[in-house]
Amino acid sequence: MSAAKRVQQWATFARSWHIFDCKWQDPYESAHVIKKYLMGMHKPIYHPMNDCGDVVVCINSREIALRGDEWRKRAYFHHTGYPGGASWTLAWELHNKDPTMIIKKAVYRAMTGNLQRRHTMQRLFIYPGENVPEDVLQNVTNQIRQIRYVPKRLDHIPEEEVKNYPKVMEYPEDFVVK
Amino acid sequence: MVFLSVINWARCRGPDEFWRKRRIFRLAAHYIGRRRNCYSIAVRNVHRALVYATKARKLKKEDMKSLWDVRITAACEQHNITLFSLREGLDRANIMLDRKSLSDLASWEPKTFEALAAVAKYKLETDRFIDGQDKCHPTGINLNLKDVMLEAWLNEKKK
Repeated sequence: MSAAKRVQQWATFARSWHIFDCKWQDPYESAHVIKKYLMGMHKPIYHPMNDCGDVVVCINSREIALRGDEWRKRAYFHHTGYPGGASWTLAWELHNKDPTMIIKKAVYRAMTGNLQRRHTMQRLFIYPGENVPEDVLQNVTNQIRQIRYVPKRLDHIPEEEVKNYPKVMEYPEDFVVK
Repeated sequence: MVFLSVINWARCRGPDEFWRKRRIFRLAAHYIGRRRNCYSIAVRNVHRALVYATKARKLKKEDMKSLWDVRITAACEQHNITLFSLREGLDRANIMLDRKSLSDLASWEPKTFEALAAVAKYKLETDRFIDGQDKCHPTGINLNLKDVMLEAWLNEKKK
């Protein structure tokens, strides 16, 4: 193969590492996006037997946001296999025990239930905070865009910017702000 | 002595039995165990295999269609267009490429696919096709209603 063709081959078939920030995201919506990258469905060369899936690193899985009452009401089922081994765990309990489980289960459920699922799930790395091992971070080349807009917290804006921001009007000195 | 009736008691099962069974055994050559050697077991499995082959002709077409759809969607997303918009734009521009051609172009001719996506986008823009609907101006915009004595009719006193 010529050098140019080798480069083209590598560029087409290499496995890329993506990073996804789960902060304030809905796990079930983001699971659909993550599953696409894990299975390789974002590539025109996709085939289930092709092993074209990429690696996805999820960070800040502790800051995930479920909708409405789901933290209190959504229950996860687990059976150990032994008699009397059925258990229903609520979402907040599960999140306290292991902050990575909710998004892991969401991605597992989003995928088709075939024999490749467990193998594809091994390409997913989830970290509860920003602390990611260096050898994993070194491989990461792309960031997946977040689905939900993450607004900036007003108390996180630096003071200088607040002071220098142009004002329309100023309250008079003896005005009492309730 | 001449034994004439003894010959009539001899039975021949079927003169071509060997070749009939060989037709089945040839199809069952790669089966496991008794399925490839014993006729009565082999024949059942061979018939099932032939039924699967018949049904799969339709399934293969469905599988290929969905695979092509996934590939075209993936390529569309690289160019910020949806599959629906691409298909609509190409249909309106009279570019009748089927799923197979589009997916092959997406894999092997990326620049051509980029051009097709641009053509579809431009066609939809000129047609003012937004959110799945033609958001064009209403057709009566160039009628000069003043010429049609509308104002006179509106100002007419009603009895």
